[in-house]
Amino acid sequence: MLRPTVRLSALAQKWSVLVFAAMAGIIASLSATASTVEFNRDIRPIFSDRCFTCHGPDAATRKTKMRLDMESTAKIELRGGRRSIVPGDPAASEIYRRISSGDKAVRMPPAYLGRESLTPHEIALIRDWIAQGAKWEPFWSFIPPKRPPLPAVKNSAWVRNPIDAFILSRLEREGLHPSPEAGKRILIRRVTLDLTGIPPTPAEVDAFLADNSPSAYERVVDRLLASPRYAERMAFRWMEAARYGDTNGYQTDGPREMWRWRDWVLDAFNRNIPYDQFTVEQLAGDLLPNATLSQRIATGFNRNHRTNGEGGIIPEEYRVEYVADRTQTTATVWMGLTLGCARCHDHKYDPFLQKDFYRLFAYFNNIPNEKGFSYNYGNEEPYIKAPLPQQKKELALLDQRVKTAEAGYHAQSPRIQKEQSAWERHLAANHDWTVTDGLQFRSSPSLPVFDGKHSIDTPGDDKTAYFGYLDPFTLAVSMNATSENGGIVSRSDDYFEGTGHGLYLIDGKLRVHIIHRWTDLAIRLETKSPVKLNQWQSIVVIYDGKRKASGIHVYIDGVDQPTNILFDQLNEPFHVDPKIPIRIGAAGGKFFKGSLRDVRIYGRALQPEEAAALSVPETVGEIARREPSERTPEQSQKIALAFLAEGASPEIKDARNRMLKARADRNAFYDSIPTVMVMVESPTPRDTFVLQRGAYDKPGEKVTPGVPASLPQPPAETPANRLGLARWITDRTNPLTARVTVNRYWQSYFGVGIVKTVDDFGSQGEWPVHPELLDWLAIEFMDSGWNVKALQRIIVTSATYRQSSRTTPELLEKDPDNRLLARGPRVRLGPEVIRDSALAASGLLVEQLGGPSVKPYQPPGLWQELAGGDGYVQDKGDALYRRSLYTYWKRTVTPPFMANFDSPNREVCTVYESRTNTPLQALDLMNDVTFLEAARKLGERMMQEGGASPESRINYGFELLLARPPKDPERQILIDTLGTFEAKYRSDPKAAEEYLAYGESRRSSNADIAELAAYTAVASLMVNLDETVTKE
Amino acid sequence: MACSCCSDDLRITRRHFFGLQSTGIGIAALASLLSREGISATTAGRVGGLAGFPNFAPRAKRIIYLFQSGGPSQFELFDYKPRLKDFQGTDLPDSIRGGQRLTGMSASQSSFPVVPSKFTFAQRGNSGAWVSELLPHTARIADELTFLKTVNTEEINHDPAVTMAQTGFRLGGRPSMGAWITYGLGCETQDLPAFVVMISSSGGGQPLYDRLWGTAFLPSRYQGVKFRSVGDRVLYLSDPKGFTPTDRRHFLDALNKLDTLESQEFGDPETEARIHQYEMAYRMQGSVPELTDISKEPQHTFDMYGPDVKKPGTFASNCLLARRLAERGVRFIQLYHRDWDHHAGLPEALPKRCQDVDQPSAALIEDLKQRGMLEDTLVIWGGEFGRTVYCQGRLTATDYGRDHHGRCFTVWMAGGGIKPGLTHGETDDYGYNIVKDGVHVHDLQATILNCLGIDHTRLTYQFQGRHFRLTDVGGNVVKPILA
Repeated sequence: MLRPTVRLSALAQKWSVLVFAAMAGIIASLSATASTVEFNRDIRPIFSDRCFTCHGPDAATRKTKMRLDMESTAKIELRGGRRSIVPGDPAASEIYRRISSGDKAVRMPPAYLGRESLTPHEIALIRDWIAQGAKWEPFWSFIPPKRPPLPAVKNSAWVRNPIDAFILSRLEREGLHPSPEAGKRILIRRVTLDLTGIPPTPAEVDAFLADNSPSAYERVVDRLLASPRYAERMAFRWMEAARYGDTNGYQTDGPREMWRWRDWVLDAFNRNIPYDQFTVEQLAGDLLPNATLSQRIATGFNRNHRTNGEGGIIPEEYRVEYVADRTQTTATVWMGLTLGCARCHDHKYDPFLQKDFYRLFAYFNNIPNEKGFSYNYGNEEPYIKAPLPQQKKELALLDQRVKTAEAGYHAQSPRIQKEQSAWERHLAANHDWTVTDGLQFRSSPSLPVFDGKHSIDTPGDDKTAYFGYLDPFTLAVSMNATSENGGIVSRSDDYFEGTGHGLYLIDGKLRVHIIHRWTDLAIRLETKSPVKLNQWQSIVVIYDGKRKASGIHVYIDGVDQPTNILFDQLNEPFHVDPKIPIRIGAAGGKFFKGSLRDVRIYGRALQPEEAAALSVPETVGEIARREPSERTPEQSQKIALAFLAEGASPEIKDARNRMLKARADRNAFYDSIPTVMVMVESPTPRDTFVLQRGAYDKPGEKVTPGVPASLPQPPAETPANRLGLARWITDRTNPLTARVTVNRYWQSYFGVGIVKTVDDFGSQGEWPVHPELLDWLAIEFMDSGWNVKALQRIIVTSATYRQSSRTTPELLEKDPDNRLLARGPRVRLGPEVIRDSALAASGLLVEQLGGPSVKPYQPPGLWQELAGGDGYVQDKGDALYRRSLYTYWKRTVTPPFMANFDSPNREVCTVYESRTNTPLQALDLMNDVTFLEAARKLGERMMQEGGASPESRINYGFELLLARPPKDPERQILIDTLGTFEAKYRSDPKAAEEYLAYGESRRSSNADIAELAAYTAVASLMVNLDETVTKE
Repeated sequence: MACSCCSDDLRITRRHFFGLQSTGIGIAALASLLSREGISATTAGRVGGLAGFPNFAPRAKRIIYLFQSGGPSQFELFDYKPRLKDFQGTDLPDSIRGGQRLTGMSASQSSFPVVPSKFTFAQRGNSGAWVSELLPHTARIADELTFLKTVNTEEINHDPAVTMAQTGFRLGGRPSMGAWITYGLGCETQDLPAFVVMISSSGGGQPLYDRLWGTAFLPSRYQGVKFRSVGDRVLYLSDPKGFTPTDRRHFLDALNKLDTLESQEFGDPETEARIHQYEMAYRMQGSVPELTDISKEPQHTFDMYGPDVKKPGTFASNCLLARRLAERGVRFIQLYHRDWDHHAGLPEALPKRCQDVDQPSAALIEDLKQRGMLEDTLVIWGGEFGRTVYCQGRLTATDYGRDHHGRCFTVWMAGGGIKPGLTHGETDDYGYNIVKDGVHVHDLQATILNCLGIDHTRLTYQFQGRHFRLTDVGGNVVKPILA
């Protein structure tokens, strides 16, 4: 049994006592001398990491009844009467005897399993903990937070808001002092980068410097929070968490279209929608009553996972993978839990059974007909049209135009009737007409009787009837079959399972094949009823080019036939060998018996009335001789079409053309409207089973949707679907959501979370360095109505955040990672901020909120060398200078600049921030065309806007990038460098020309080449400064 | 079941400050930071790596992995099955197939006709290893090689199988083998990356993915650096036109001065580390062109590697560069050659691939041996899986294809730590199942690490609570092949 919830709530009453008693030194290096050992901080991590595998939650690997993840099973009587833990008496405690034994046969963790012994420090901690009474504490993160009282501090004048009280109280205990507030220039740069992702302009800096009011800084913060740039800044990290990509992520890694979801995120941050709503809409927007388009788009969150279109995969294996990805991502992002560890077995460290994983999995397992073998060249179902507001209007306008044009044409009805009957009267009996628009192939007028051994072949080329999987076509033939098996018409390999298009008779039924690979990439369908043998019938097969069997219609004598879909998975482009002939009387090695005539192949999908017309053997003249009331509907359609083609007056033709054009325009526009993959709930939920060892084909116990049993449970009336889950996640009593969220934001400002393991709030995670602060922020966040902007505001307006980031050897020694925050954050910027800052400072940045992803500069060949094909087609113009969150993200070939600067590759959900410092980064900033061009434009700006003297120009460049002028020694170095390069380029103008040739933006024509090259070199130097890529 | 969750604790902070060298960095900061990271200071020419690694005396100092992507057919190359002639055209018995899951490409085939190799085999050298006529050069050096006939994987599709072979797990999200090894062992050069990847530019066949040389949750500094055959060898290596190495030196001198001022003001060791990275970048700008300039190699070397060796981007050219990288202390050199995925038209296509790689692979072994480097360089040759004994698609008198087969396939190894001239493992008469001594992909990985002196259960990294390792939860060292 896991810890029952009831008991948790009871224990929650003691939470403040238990936990806040434990607020002594937190960091190992600081707490080495602490006299009081705390269970959660000091002991549980040792148990978890070193003992739980055999003495923890996983029943399958538990070796004895003693398990150290629960007090009741940790302190027990063992064989021989010894007790595992005797509070106050280490010597009598078996666990202490075993961990401290020098005898390898006795010592735990066991040597025979290859485990190392505990360190002397760990052994001492456990000894001291037992000696001090072996006090147990419930696991902190599973207990709902409560608002802690603000701690008393000596230096209360330093405190700007409650964050500071918590930080300062800890500093005072450690004998540390906060740093002075950072200078105004550093401060505005820091907060502007943090809230908008680009540096402040010199004018913004000047305004801030000139504002001497006490609320000057807060005014800046409010201005930044109101900027759309804030949304762009926030969205980027959320895209990483949501594993957003513009491609599918496996094997050939084809494109998908999810940017409308990304724009939903931008909009959500812009409108500052509360985080609980932000959560509910993304997890279950489709299940909200009267779900709006926006709410449905939001659910794209859980379709951002990779999808596999590799030929030959076993679909269910990957369908399970998609559902597991949703489950794990949801657990990481909202719960900070490593539930994925319970996919194959019970969790090794945290109180989660394997069943808990699959109960959560069950929430995400109900997409109707979800395909594991996904389409790799676009979105996989379910997806929806997601028009932009402007497109919605445009579509309505076009719909209206269609209606008007249709009405205009219908108004011609009396005239049509009149003209047509007049026209009919003059037709000769043998006058005929047929559909010729799009006709690519027509058989010779006399075909032999087919004997089941021969066919009539027309040599193939790559133009006639050379159809890919997205090419619509129509095939028509008149047939009089004498055998119920045979190939009728084809362009395919000459064996049955070969590649190509074919029309067959199989056991009397018409069979249509479009085959790339027989076994897994094909459409095959047959008519439900057999054809009639030994009589003439008209057959028309129409394919709409939308790669689904439902887009194929088979007409017999003008009647649309019901069909059985035999196979429906045409996922990849293909063509037959152009040398393959068009065969009449044969397909796939099977031959036709009987007669065929008038075989036609059209390169378009005919309209139903056209198909009807093709089925009519009578000539137009013959039809004209019948009374309209005696004509079949097909005959009427044929003669009407013939009239419109040949006999109608210009007025009628115009009206009809207007209607056809209006429809075509509308349809073309409709096709151009972006789609987005979304969550949809099947009315009949799919059964979910615990999968043994995580294997898709080893179902075990059947489970229902539910949240992990060791967490507080939702009220009984909560629906067992994603909406219920989302409500539970955002319920105030959920102990994790708010803590996990505020912690992630904290990380984005200070480089490290209050809980460093932002993705693990379980027992292997780090104990929070400021537990009360974490809880205070969590409560404050919820009390504010989950107000995301308010949360950012309170963090960046704290005195803690506003400190100078200067450090000292002593501070580095004592707190190298700056966890205690006796100084401000100094953190290397993320790749998107580095690039956007260079674009902004150089004046190249093109700001436009949202839209399809763009393809800026990338070294040529990167896509081809891994995957062949056409590769990366770089955009031109404005698209080169959009903010980095819009950069097209191919998952198997990460944009190289992003990869160099530590971006996760978006294959899986990533919430931790990683930063390295490598020579590849140096090469990138020095030689990537992006930064060479930015340097050139920055150099130009310095010359054009920075005044006349080198000093003022250099000052200006520095201010654009760093929000400050250089200090004297810095300026001197820059001036010297400028001189060196100016001399060089004066003497070598060709080199200057070459150096200035990078990037597609135009060069300012009136600039002196040598001088501009020198300023470009200096600007490049500035772009490469440590300070430029650092928030300080 | 072995468990990765309880291995030696090597908790590493996520913040890696250094280029891992002591020159130019404040000694106090270095000492404190390195010890916190568990990273040993430079020892005996080594740069970076974890304290305590290698765990025991290594037999190999470096790896050259000649990865043959797509799944080369063991039936036509190494796994000689004379009885298949008797079974030709008969359906693979269910008793042999044993419920093996098949790919969606052949699962719904109406029959599974056995097809023997069209190519002839002979026993080679003193060891008597079977090598087909398609690989005459490999045959010549067979006594240097050890053939593992029973390498196996559960995966039956390329993406998961290649990902498994290179990261130890079927889905993306785990560090690659080269990343693990350079994380653990660092490197023996200050002028080149520790982990270099080269892909034959002939392309074709199945795509590759960044994740195969990526770092996933390991710090990105351990990612494989692609040496390309077009454009810059290393991305962004070349200075812009009109900007000479002298200009770059001026530039860097100024940058160092400015960053030093910055370092003095803020006192952040990260700044010093960055200065250092720029110096290393500068050295790479010299060392990479020197490395890739093969003009000074003697003619007999060119002759050894074959006619393609002077064409950048060929497998032959990459093999020669691999030897040059190995000489310069690069730890892990990963080559990829593609287009081994012969579902159809195998008799025509396979000889071409063999011709691409046979001579250069053999030349690399001989070259290393002549230089005395084979004893501490481990070379591995193989793909992500093998191919089926039965024909996929249409079987004709002259043509056939084979689907993916993971139950057994052949990989050869040579050099540091491996006994030469062995054949390890045995498959049944159909070449479908293992009869003796299976080698799972994780076993292969454990063995590779073992040759480097690494206990594969100890090279771990804690991420999301779990101690991950290359071999996931498996891996047994193949001891009989160790020297």
